Amino acid sequence: MNERIPDHDTGHDVLAARLRQLPAERLPPAAAWQRIAAQLQEEPRLPAAAAVATPATRRRRWLPTAAAAAVAALALFGAGHWWGQQDRPVPAPAAQASPLEVQADALADAYQQAIASIPQDTVPAELVPALHELDASAGSIRTAIAQSPDAGFLLGQLRRTYALRLELTRQGLAPAGLPT
Amino acid sequence: MKVSLRHLLAAIALLAPLPVLAQTPVNERHALSSGGRVEISNVAGSVTVRGWDRNEVQLTGTLGDGQRLDVQNSANRVQLKVVYPQNSRNSRGAVLELRVPRGSELQAGTVSAALDVADVDLRRLQASTVSGGIRANGQAGESSLTSVSGAIRSQLRTSRLELRSVSGAINAAGTSGGEVSANSVSGGVELDLSAVQRLDVETVSGSLGVRSAGLQPGGRISLQTVSAPITLTLPARTSAQLKVKSFSGSIRSDVGEVERPRYGPGSHLDARIGGGDGDITINSHSGSVRVSLGGR
Repeated sequence: MNERIPDHDTGHDVLAARLRQLPAERLPPAAAWQRIAAQLQEEPRLPAAAAVATPATRRRRWLPTAAAAAVAALALFGAGHWWGQQDRPVPAPAAQASPLEVQADALADAYQQAIASIPQDTVPAELVPALHELDASAGSIRTAIAQSPDAGFLLGQLRRTYALRLELTRQGLAPAGLPT
Repeated sequence: MKVSLRHLLAAIALLAPLPVLAQTPVNERHALSSGGRVEISNVAGSVTVRGWDRNEVQLTGTLGDGQRLDVQNSANRVQLKVVYPQNSRNSRGAVLELRVPRGSELQAGTVSAALDVADVDLRRLQASTVSGGIRANGQAGESSLTSVSGAIRSQLRTSRLELRSVSGAINAAGTSGGEVSANSVSGGVELDLSAVQRLDVETVSGSLGVRSAGLQPGGRISLQTVSAPITLTLPARTSAQLKVKSFSGSIRSDVGEVERPRYGPGSHLDARIGGGDGDITINSHSGSVRVSLGGR
């Protein structure tokens, strides 16, 4: 799917370039209708082949542009549909997430909610690097769980990491400093 | 010249008392019944703990500028806490030496103060620091040493040892047999232990090195890491069932054959060492695993 995007963009660019080359809207010159009427009256005098040839030639000239526009419109519609799907958070079907991942997600949600409920501005500066370390480690463990969905020990690692994160964040609330 | 010297001496005489005035001496003594608990809390500076054969607790040392000592005691409990003034970032920490009775329980906590425990014989030792570092020697029935970024060095003789760190290195040696658990996030863990009954070590990214004099009958060793290398060294006489599993880390072992699935990542090893009495389980996600049987 990703490989097709440049084609869409290229098609879009070609269309945009052609659109730019189209003549800009103009006001008809003065007495245009009179001249057209005069030409219409002269038309029967022209050869039949020439009379048919003029609109046919115009149609042929516009045919590639119309086709390109149609292709580009389809491409743009397809790309838009694709991006729309990317922006939307697609809920992973239960069958795709391993049981370990589901548990890890539930664990992460529970701890993150608990941690978020604690005022973060009370965390002592001494603990900040450690909290960052724990957050980064939790991310590493979750990545490892996604890679190795049967490694049950990783769930224990994740629980311990989040528990420690919560514990240290709570320590920051202690009124008399660390530790009491 | 004489005038200049006199001025210099006068200036020294005026400046000399300033550090003395900024520090307050501490000398506390409190009786404690047998098996009682001693609690000490200090933010910065240092706390040195030594054991003695008296049934009393003694605290000596100096407090920094603006600090005070909060003491609460009963027959079974002595609580000592250095209270720091607000905005005391630039003041010097308290330097304290604590004497604790044999058989007592010690609970010591610091933030950046170094914690040094030695020559003790405790019923229970609980020491925690944020960045100060912990050194522990002596004897304790149960021991728990916890740090955030400070290093932990233990040579305790204890039947149950718990070591926890976030990024501080953990190093335990001596005759810490029985039950040992060590948890670290990114700090390395190095253990050199006597024969263990139960050993649990976990790290996320901190390296993990364990050397043990073996397993006690029916003992169990469990080592886990996400991305760090694991090395386990045991004596050849070890009797255990060895199970090693790794998702993408290499496995090398003096015993057993490493097996890999025909398709996909992962490798594992199941082997019997000696009579196969105990259990050794090693799990790694991406860290390498090395098992040697060339130990003591």
